Amino acid sequence: MKPAGRRWRLPGQHWLLVIPPYLWLLLFFLAPFAIVFKISLAESTIAQPPYTALYEYVNDVLTLRLSFSNYLFLLTDSLYFDAYVSSLRIAAISTLICLVIGYPIAYGIARAQGPMQSLLLMLVVLPSWTSFLIRIYAWMGILRNNGIINTVLMALGVVDEPVRMMNTELAVYIGIVYTYLPFLVLPLYSNLVKLDNRLLEAATDLGAGPVSRFLRITLPLSMGGVIAGCMLVFIPVVGEFVIPELLGGSETLMIGKVLWGEFFNNRDWPVASAVATVMLVVLLIPISLFHRYQFREMEGED
Amino acid sequence: MAQSPGIPRFSRICLSLGFFFLYAPMVVLIVYSFNASERVNIWAGFSTRWYGELFRDDAMMSAMWMSLRLAFATATVSVVFGTLAALVLTRVRNFRTKTLFGGMVTAPLVMPDVITGLSLLLLFVGMANTLGWPAERGFLTIWIAHVTFCMAFVTVVMSSRLRELDRSLEEAAMDLGASRLGTFFQITLPIITPALASGWLLAFTLSLDDLVIASFVAGPASTTLPMVVFSSVRLGLSPQVNALAALLILSVTAVGMLAYLMTLRDERRRQRQPG
Amino acid sequence: MTETTTIAHPAGAGQPEPGSGGAAYIELVGVSKSFDGALAVNNVDLSIRKGELFALLGASGCGKSTLLRMLSGFEQPTSGDILLEGQSLTGLPANQRPFNMMFQSYALFPHMTVEQNLAFGLKQERMDKREIESRVGEMLERVQMSEYRKRKPDQLSGGQQQRIALARCLVKRPKLLLLDEPMGALDKKLRTRMQLEIANILESVGVTCVMVTHDQEEAMTMANRIAIMDGGRILQVGTPDEIYEQPNCRYTAEFIGSVNLFDGVIVDDEVDYVNIKSPQARNTLHIGHGISGFAGQPVSVAVRPEKIQISLQKPEQAFNCEAGEVDEIAYLGSHSVYHVKLGSGMDVLVTALNDERWAGERLTWQDKVWVYWDEHSAVVLTS
Repeated sequence: MKPAGRRWRLPGQHWLLVIPPYLWLLLFFLAPFAIVFKISLAESTIAQPPYTALYEYVNDVLTLRLSFSNYLFLLTDSLYFDAYVSSLRIAAISTLICLVIGYPIAYGIARAQGPMQSLLLMLVVLPSWTSFLIRIYAWMGILRNNGIINTVLMALGVVDEPVRMMNTELAVYIGIVYTYLPFLVLPLYSNLVKLDNRLLEAATDLGAGPVSRFLRITLPLSMGGVIAGCMLVFIPVVGEFVIPELLGGSETLMIGKVLWGEFFNNRDWPVASAVATVMLVVLLIPISLFHRYQFREMEGED
Repeated sequence: MAQSPGIPRFSRICLSLGFFFLYAPMVVLIVYSFNASERVNIWAGFSTRWYGELFRDDAMMSAMWMSLRLAFATATVSVVFGTLAALVLTRVRNFRTKTLFGGMVTAPLVMPDVITGLSLLLLFVGMANTLGWPAERGFLTIWIAHVTFCMAFVTVVMSSRLRELDRSLEEAAMDLGASRLGTFFQITLPIITPALASGWLLAFTLSLDDLVIASFVAGPASTTLPMVVFSSVRLGLSPQVNALAALLILSVTAVGMLAYLMTLRDERRRQRQPG
Repeated sequence: MTETTTIAHPAGAGQPEPGSGGAAYIELVGVSKSFDGALAVNNVDLSIRKGELFALLGASGCGKSTLLRMLSGFEQPTSGDILLEGQSLTGLPANQRPFNMMFQSYALFPHMTVEQNLAFGLKQERMDKREIESRVGEMLERVQMSEYRKRKPDQLSGGQQQRIALARCLVKRPKLLLLDEPMGALDKKLRTRMQLEIANILESVGVTCVMVTHDQEEAMTMANRIAIMDGGRILQVGTPDEIYEQPNCRYTAEFIGSVNLFDGVIVDDEVDYVNIKSPQARNTLHIGHGISGFAGQPVSVAVRPEKIQISLQKPEQAFNCEAGEVDEIAYLGSHSVYHVKLGSGMDVLVTALNDERWAGERLTWQDKVWVYWDEHSAVVLTS
């Protein structure tokens, strides 16, 4: 019998362990969301800081000014709605592409043995250690009109004039898949590597072919890794700014780019806050889906 | 590929194509960093001239120095907080607000940068207005922002290591007379040191890599390397950036190879043991 | 959570077991432990003598590990007390108890050499460096591991790791050594060898020792006395042969070895014999000694398979004798196990030595046979 008392109990001296990271996260991770929400209800002014106060206390009267105009503005201007939809679409499609490419890779690494496995794993992780910006930059050089692909295609006589790839949605997809692929492969790998090969042998023994083995054994058992990996791609991509900015054209509308523009170019902090709040609400379900898997994984219950 | 009989052929093809996709752009980048021509895409002979220009570029160099210091400070503190958080998650029995704590540890892993950046900036502005601190944004505010999201990644690394750790090792130390603190420093810490190192490196690279969050919370006077690279890349291709990229890729590859060789050596030694 | 069990036995009630010579060295008085309301150890009284090897034997989940962890100080009893030479240990954490534990996984520190592992416990006592060195050297000598002193644990075989784990405890000269499933991590062949080796080392050191195991063979081989645990309680304490030959309840009888149990009621309760009638047996079950029972009391009669004779001829006794048919035969080389189906439908196990290369009368399936046993071979169980 393994006694249940192997975990320490609070209180004790263990709250010393909990307090520093807990306070830090409360202050610098959770509290800021409240402030974003607060400012999304303010109005933009030309001042320092560039938003109105939410409440005033003058002559013993507390005046609360909540402005919903920012949210109404998001509703009326179709630009925002289109940007949300297009972000979700791009994120969903690129997650799917990552999954289709990443699953066989993760599976292959999980099945490799010994030093080969560590080598393959490192080769997948290595690119994500180099600068993300640099990797996007590399694609700029490849996809340009006078870039490598077009030069080769024209030299071979396949096309007469350069194919436009830069500043298209295709370029955005390439950039996203390129940068986010390792984030999907890693959790999937660590899930697949735990798969007991005897289960597959048992399935073979019971008459299952390779396809049915995959669909009925491997895939259902790796669902946790699939969800974690997909969410690790999907959620950040919805708010992605750098890739659509550098590789995408004006027709690629993404909400991260819109938020950046509202904040840095229009200096409209309240609208930017409203955009962020809505984005957060939209992402709440994917985030909690990710949390459920990741938390169990980290806490290591059972 | 003879050592890997376990990999199905389909996966092997996917692996090869996947690695080609991942590495070809970087190879191109490195090759072109030795291009003599100012026009980045036209080959005009071998030259190391852009490396020289890179090191003479004062803006680039000072931003790089700033980013390195920042990454160092971020990684060091993230490792401490991340390890504490991992200890809480894996070792402390459920307490009332553990779910909230868990949420705050996992959410930064996926939170879009624009949201994190904007929310932290608004916090700093609000704090400056009410508390008078931080008086100006710069190194300190970027550091706070980076620690916040990097510690989540360190927590993932550390909690998976702590979970694997045989708890009876710690109990054995206590049983032999070590105090709880003594056990941590004599047993737990030495055993998890490799994980601490990889957590530190992870936080270091994440901090070095961040553009969006730093752009929000940086003051006008402080510029990190990604910010400089971004503003020059936005205008088009730049040969200095090619040189910088090549240096970065080569140094990361060197570190990666070193890490790989070390794990290989460990594995070999483990295989040699009897029984 | 707060268990308010009053201590059923006042302090001092932990009398030495019958037939014991020594006084109690370690005493457990009314010890209980509950986890989140579930009782893992239930009001245990136990006394352990100086220098003995005491085994806690039971199936997994019986509370033996929790009891061991309370002795080591990793868990504190919810109620009751643990005494060392009359001194209460309550509240004393593991690192301040003069007890050391050998873990099932050995828990050798992977980043330290054999020598450093042994020295660890002594360093915690801030012992003089030269003293540490000599004690470590002496202990390595004793477990015959001197030439491995510079090795790391992962360069040792399972048996070597076990000896180092034991040496690491013994070098501290503990007042009590705790062994948690000591053979659990070894394969079967090595197990038998190490059982004797460890027992020899322990004997030469003369340390008092409590071990936890689920393996009856291990407990019987190594321990001087055994406590059988089930459901958080101690059912019986005794020497290995007492436990085997005189089980005091059905659980013990069935847990140790195999046994045939007849359920019945006492019909004659005399000073020097007892007769019992069981629906599972046609003839009366006769026990050649008196018990403290009464006529009409429901009891079980336990007979070990090796104490039963099997024959094609009807024996000349009216008691303890049943007719049946051979249902199964398991040939095990040195002996065979026969499953004999009685007329009542009960399955009786009989072991017989194969002490002749070719027995003239070899039994086979469906043979009509008689099984019978001596009046002193059976035990009456009242619980």
